[in-house]
Parts: sequence; structure tokens; C-alpha cells
Amino acid sequence: MKYEQASHLQYSVLKLTGEVDLHNSPQVRKQLLAILNAGHSVLVDFAALSYIDSSGIATLVEAFNLAKNKALSLTIIEATGAPLQVLELTNLNKVFPMLASLDDVKE
Amino acid sequence: MLSRIKPFIESVGTKATSKVESAGRLGIFILNTLSRLWMFRFPLTETIKQIQFIGARTVPLIIISGLFTGMVIALQFYDTLIRFGSVELLGAAVAMSLIRELGPVMAALMVIARVGSATCAEIGIMRNEQQFDALDCMGIDSYHYVMLPRLMAALISVPLLTAIFDVLGIGGGYIVGVLIHGVSDGAYLIGMADTIVWKDVSMGIIKSSLFALLIIWISMAKGFYLHIEQKQSGAEGVSQATTEAVVLSAVLMLFVDYIVSSLML
Amino acid sequence: MTNSVQHIIEAKNLVSHYGDRQVLNNVDFKVAKGEIRVIMGGSGSGKSTLLNHLLALLKPTSGDIVVDGVDVVNADRKTLLALRKKTGVAFQSGALFSSMTVGENIKLPLVRHTKLDANTIDIMTRLKLELMNLAGFEHLMPSELSGGMLKRAGLARAVIMDPKLLFFDEPSAGLDPVTAVELDELILKLRDAMNMTIVVVTHELESAFKIADKITVLFDGSVAVTGTVEEIKNSPDERIQNLINRRPRNEVVNAEQYIERLTTGKN
Repeated sequence: MKYEQASHLQYSVLKLTGEVDLHNSPQVRKQLLAILNAGHSVLVDFAALSYIDSSGIATLVEAFNLAKNKALSLTIIEATGAPLQVLELTNLNKVFPMLASLDDVKE
Repeated sequence: MLSRIKPFIESVGTKATSKVESAGRLGIFILNTLSRLWMFRFPLTETIKQIQFIGARTVPLIIISGLFTGMVIALQFYDTLIRFGSVELLGAAVAMSLIRELGPVMAALMVIARVGSATCAEIGIMRNEQQFDALDCMGIDSYHYVMLPRLMAALISVPLLTAIFDVLGIGGGYIVGVLIHGVSDGAYLIGMADTIVWKDVSMGIIKSSLFALLIIWISMAKGFYLHIEQKQSGAEGVSQATTEAVVLSAVLMLFVDYIVSSLML
Repeated sequence: MTNSVQHIIEAKNLVSHYGDRQVLNNVDFKVAKGEIRVIMGGSGSGKSTLLNHLLALLKPTSGDIVVDGVDVVNADRKTLLALRKKTGVAFQSGALFSSMTVGENIKLPLVRHTKLDANTIDIMTRLKLELMNLAGFEHLMPSELSGGMLKRAGLARAVIMDPKLLFFDEPSAGLDPVTAVELDELILKLRDAMNMTIVVVTHELESAFKIADKITVLFDGSVAVTGTVEEIKNSPDERIQNLINRRPRNEVVNAEQYIERLTTGKN
């Protein structure tokens, strides 16, 4: 798993590549919480993500909640395949704002 | 006639081999449990929980039984000693009997009744409900997670319970001897202090530690192996196993009591 | 043709005894990755025994069992532990520990085997509870749950680490029809979303036909047939037809012997 941080408009982008599982989700958690605690809304880019397990999903839930408490936002970009199925299985596709690509992000 | 002898011999043989197998399993069980002490980290949280169950919750029972035991032996000794005019030895007599013998044995019996039966049943039910299979499949070591904490908790709690029993017993003897029958309080207490030596106390500690080991070992093993040793499964099997555990613990405890006493006296 | 398929479970020539009694007779059992396999058979057919061998809870008298590349019969503790972390097992009556709450039961594997943050673990536990329709039951004790709820809690614990391989012992037994159907749906969803290979031991025909990619039927410790649902339904084997049509076994009655048994008690 690799992650990259970037910016897009006023957001921080966290691009996830590969698989997020029990072993590396703590790293993702650290990054997400750091971005939010620094006061930036975050876009989580799933375009290169092939797999995410429950620990990854739980991390997103925790981050989403933190964002909400800080009046920030957390948006999922380009979720497809297995990660999309997991979001549907957990009904989180009805909770997280989800966009098809970075181009769809408004100011 | 030969046709009747052969089945009889076979049945004796089968019973004998099954008893030997049972003893072998007990041995393997305790070795497995003890080996987890150095194989993994010490299970502190689980042990503390068990100390609460085995130790703390047995205290009320120990207090009552200690008190009444002390009271009755003081009564018995008083009746004897007064005939020899040696009633000032009451304190020493009560304390010696309790510390060397009655404390360890009676406390152990109370523990067998309360903890031994409950532990055997608990572990037997776990076996019945496939909880040990579940632990194995989750990669959690049963001996480390379930057995070792109970063993450690018993080794810590039972000697302490014995000590509480002794204290309450001596107090009960004081109530009967001094408060009721007018024995001099000085004679009671100082007579006790003068006569009791470290050897008496150490005998009590050694006995109660050995009893602790025995009781928890047998109770857990009988529950753990109930799918092998009991003829019936389910609630029947648990009840059989518990009865066997209680009886075996009590009998072995008295046997060990004699051995330790004869070695140390 | 089978060489191109990746088998995550391969058991060959399994022979097993319980004391002197033979319980498994040269059983071959192969499951492909991502497959849902149902093991069926009457009582005493050996299906639970086969399951226990695959879980490495029992050792066979002879034969090989390879699960996800691990020879479970001869594996050392460390290797077996690594495999077990990737395997979930849901037992017939849940097998929860009565001294812990439902939530503590479900998160136990995470607490023991991972270093995940407590928040992460709690959310993961609740995600699984929601999936099993047990939201809000986190702080109850197992004794406060019904049989169906215990099963679902046991399943939640089985999948808490998102295992590759899931074993299910009699999932529908004792459940009402609605919950049983929901559980079937869940099994299918778990395979699709989490890419799990699932082995189910059951005697519920409807469930089996609904979820199975393939069914293995056991009789008296031997494999009668392994095939797709269609192949099983069209099997010429009379025992299988009896099983799926729920026909009672055809007993031939010898009148004389029957009267003798009734009147004298001798067999």
C-alpha cells in the first residue's frame, strides 16, 4: 500500500494505492487524522485502491466523524470494484459523500 | 468357567488402563499449563479477574467458617484443659491447631465447595459448547488464556484465605475462651505468641499452597477432559465431572495433608 | 482441467478413526478459491468430523490436508497460527464466552492479534454487529441473547478479521425462516464483497441449493458425490434422491423377525 498527499483546490487529497488492510491501516489513520487536525477538508482518492478491509473502513468512519465535529468534510473519490462493494455492504455509500472523479469536486 | 473369568479380567484391565490414562492426562494438563508461564507473557488481567472470583468472593464464607471453627475448637480444648488445670494454654492450643492443620484443611474444603465445583462446571460447559475449539481456531492458546490465570489466582488466593481463616479462628477462640469462659486474655494471647514458631506457620503456608495447586488442577482438568472421560455429554456429564472433581480434590487433599504433616513434624 | 483452478483447500485420501471406529473413508475434498462449498449428509455421515479435520482440530489416521498452502497435519505452531488468523469459524451455537459482553467477544481476535487503535477496533466491531443485525447489542451478555442472535454474534466474531476462508457449522439450524434467508444472503454478500472462500456444513436443503457453487454429499464417512446444484439434483444415486426429496429410508420388513423383536426384545 502506498499513500500520497496532494492538494486539489482548497482540499487535501490522500491518494491510496494498492490494498489497505490490518497491517497498514494505522498509517492511513495517522495521515487522515493529521490532515483533519490541521484544519483541512480531505478527499480520499480510491482510484488506485484495489482492496480495503474493515480496519480501513473503520478508519474512514473515525475520520469522517472527526471531520464532522470540526465542520470539515471527508469525500470519497472514484470508488470502484471491491472497495465500492464493501462500502455498499456496510451501507456507508449512503453516508460518505462519493464522487466519480476529482473533476467533480466543487470549490 | 473360563468364559466367565475372561470378561471379568478384561473389564478389570480396561478400568485399570483408563485410570492410568486419566492420570496421564492430568500430568499432561499441568505440564501444559505451567509451560505457558515461560512461553508467553504473564496473563495479568485475566489473573486479577480470577483472584476476584476465587479469592475475594470466598472471603465471607471463610470468615464465617473460620469464626465458628475457632469457637468450637476453643470450646473443646477448654473442656479438656480445665480438667488438667492448664487452661492458660488455650490460646496456644487453638492457634497451633488452626495454623498447622485446621486452617489449611478447612479453608481448602471451603474452596473445593465453592471454587472447585464452580470452576469444574464452568470449564466443562466451555468444553461442551465448543468454546475451546473456538479458542483454538482463533489461534488463542487455551492453557494460556483460561487455565494459567486460574492456577496463578488459586496459588495467590488460597494461602491468603487460609490466613484469614486462621485469624478469624483465633478470634473466635478468644470470644469463647476469654469473653465467655473467663480465661485470662493475656494468657490466651501471650501463650499463643510464645508457642508458635516459624515451622508451624511455614507448615500452614506449604500445605495451603499445595492444596491450592491440587484443587484448581483437578477441577480444571476434570472439566477440560469431560468429553473424553464422562460417559454422558451435556448437563449430565458436567454434573458427573463436578462431583468427581470435588471428591477427588477432597480425598487427595487429606492425603497430601498427612504426607506433609509427617514429613515436617 | 482442475490444474488451472487454484484450490485453497485440498484434502486427499483422508482416513480417520474415533477409537476403533472408522469415521472417514478415503475422503477427497478440494475447494477452489472464492467458492462456496456446502457439505451435506445425514447424521453420522462424518460431515462434522471432516470439518474438524479441515480446522486442524483433529488429526487424521492417514491422508493429507493442505489449506492455503499449509500442511495442517504437520504444521508447526507459528505456521498454523498465521493460517488461523486468516480463517474464521462460526460454530453451531455461537461458542461465545459467557464472562464477556457480546462486543468483547467479537473483538477478542483483534485485541489478541493486532495492534490496532481501540477506536478502530470498536468501530470494526460495530460494523460487524450492524451487518449481522445486532446493532445495539454490544453491551449485552451472551446469556441475554436468543439462539439466533448467538449464532449471528458468533458469525460476527468469525469475520471480524476479514478472513480469506470462512467455515460455518450448521448456520441455519434453529433459525426462523426469515433470519435463515437473511443469513444466506449474507453468506453470498460476504463472498462477493470480501472475496471469501466459504465452506458450509448444513442439512438445510433450501439454503444449500441457494448458496452453493458446489455440494459435497457424504454418506457413512465416504464422499458419495461432489457436484454443482444441478448435478446433485439430477444424481442417479438413490441415497441422494432420498436426501433431497426427504424420503424416509425404505425399510424392508421381514415379518417374522419383526414380530420376534417386538415380542422377545431379541435382535
